[in-house]
Amino acid sequence: MIGGIGITKTFRQRGGVLGAREVPALRGVDFAIPKGGAVSFIGESGCGKTTLGRIIAGLETCDSGEIVIDDVAMSSLSHRRRQPYFRRVQLIHQDPYSALNPTRTIHQALAAPLALRARQTGRPRSWADERARELLGLVGLDPGYVLPRYPHQLSGGMRQRVVIARALTVDPEVLVADEAVSMIDVSLRLGILALLKDLRERLGVSVLFITHDVATARYIGTDGELYVIYRGQVVERGPVETVISAPVHPYTQALLSAIPVLHGLESPGEQRVVPVEASGEHPDGCLFAPRCPFRTERCERERPALGRDGGMPQEHACFHPERRSVVALPVSRR
Amino acid sequence: MAPEQSPPGARIRGLTVVYRTPAGELPAVSGVDLDLAPGTITGVVGESGSGKSTLALALLNAVQPPGRIAAGSVEIDGLGDVVALGGEGLRRARGRHVGYVFQAAQNSLNPLKTVGKQVLDLGRSHGVEDVRGLLADARDLLGRMGLDGARVLDSYQHELSGGMRQRVGIMLALVLNARLVVLDEPTTALDMITQATILRIVREVHAERGLTTLVITHDLGVVAEVADRLAVMYGGRVAEQGPTREVLAGPRHPYTRGLLGAIPRLVGDIGEAHALPGRPPTLADIPADGCVFRERCPLRMDVCETGRPPVVVSGSRSAACHAVRDDDGDRPAVAAATGEDQA
Repeated sequence: MIGGIGITKTFRQRGGVLGAREVPALRGVDFAIPKGGAVSFIGESGCGKTTLGRIIAGLETCDSGEIVIDDVAMSSLSHRRRQPYFRRVQLIHQDPYSALNPTRTIHQALAAPLALRARQTGRPRSWADERARELLGLVGLDPGYVLPRYPHQLSGGMRQRVVIARALTVDPEVLVADEAVSMIDVSLRLGILALLKDLRERLGVSVLFITHDVATARYIGTDGELYVIYRGQVVERGPVETVISAPVHPYTQALLSAIPVLHGLESPGEQRVVPVEASGEHPDGCLFAPRCPFRTERCERERPALGRDGGMPQEHACFHPERRSVVALPVSRR
Repeated sequence: MAPEQSPPGARIRGLTVVYRTPAGELPAVSGVDLDLAPGTITGVVGESGSGKSTLALALLNAVQPPGRIAAGSVEIDGLGDVVALGGEGLRRARGRHVGYVFQAAQNSLNPLKTVGKQVLDLGRSHGVEDVRGLLADARDLLGRMGLDGARVLDSYQHELSGGMRQRVGIMLALVLNARLVVLDEPTTALDMITQATILRIVREVHAERGLTTLVITHDLGVVAEVADRLAVMYGGRVAEQGPTREVLAGPRHPYTRGLLGAIPRLVGDIGEAHALPGRPPTLADIPADGCVFRERCPLRMDVCETGRPPVVVSGSRSAACHAVRDDDGDRPAVAAATGEDQA
């Protein structure tokens, strides 16, 4: 079980006539990734979702707040003693091509971490080769075909499977998939999503799925949890199917309304929400208020906190939560 | 403002574009027929290696070596056969007649010059005399797309967001009053809400200026939102084309059905969606004979190995497949994609 409490991160931009400018990336985010569970962070670029993923994978530190792995607070450990904990979290990038060394065969890419693993666990060297074949089989690749090849000889989908197999060499508990299918051809995306779902079910690995595409998040598991992040704040959080079918935060509604409708197969949601042109900043107000079509005076004065309010099944950070049906529905055939 | 004449149409016939490789000349686009009807938005959808971007370049006769147009013609109203054009005539046609919004327009601006300077460069290279008028047009176009035109013209690329740069790209394609516009992946790398805004702008500007528009994309959703007609490309060929809604509601080609069945949706049973087996062909392994899709096709037959699929036309639709009859098309996409077709 991995969780976070009050994760805050501010980036300092240098330059400008007035000196450094502070850009808040995360504003006190709480989260929990249950064992074998599926959690998705949804948001637009710059919302902080990738930074949060990097903090969870131990690649970045937070300014305040705490990451807790198996009841151990990471800040209480030295850098060295933290490493074995963070090794349980493996990050899968967007671009499988840059994640693999182009001068090494797939065999070489998998052999290095597996040899280390064999040494750590006192297994013979031959175990590493066997395990490499086993892992490639697990991610749906033919070891005989893939092992002797270089990354450029494989398709994008195959490369992403290799990256996932490599992440599995250290027996992780959590796979953090950051936009892991956005560079994969459309006809192959679902295969990668199904693989992540399958690994959850077969190995009990948790999946943290970070994406701007809500529909793909659903395919990691309809039993999962969705966190909708806007400018570093979680604005809505709840079961995947609830948040998609009955979103209550206007930002979630705007995000879902923006998904293209397959006219001819689907009819658009009846209450689609289109954000307005941003109008000024309200330093203490709701972060989404400047673009919110439903804002009131209160939203400009006060910032709502994430909580369960107004009898909604999901948590939200909105003073005026209201269910709206914004998602396109299939046209019933005949 | 745009001249008061009807928008130009374009007719692509038997277009073949080959690339020279160590293994010989390989076709990226092979025998493509496609009409861009005046005043319509046509969407070309394909995965990587489908030839869609090469097709867009061929429309401007802008295929670069080691590629070349090996056969076919591209007739554009008011220009004639673009394939036969060369040198100065071709240069003038680009920009004046055909506007091109590049893939990742966000990154195709000059980082060292303000947007306004780039508009002036464009005007000068096309011999525009009224540069003030040109700048005013640029400002108005940006204003029309919801931006502060004067501010954007004074900005450098790094001062603009991705969505703003994409709008600058569209402005640069239109400011010389081109009436035929090609948008290559207009929303890739943009956020969902920004994408929806750009697609709305594309539709509105298309209607207001009386354009003929071609949108190239890998995303069926983008085409579904903007295009009147849809052409699905695979392995350098057009697999299926027709009115967008009709194709989406009743796809005929097994590839179109598979593609539709592979798109994650927000509602419904997730078990009904399936990835296509195999992978899209690359330039090096596009089969020379027979159907290019057969390796991944649930309806594969013996004839698919050797015979190039016939183009089965019915009404305003066509599909290139041995297994398609001209009365097909009402079967649900998802069931067909799973191969459990009960029709």
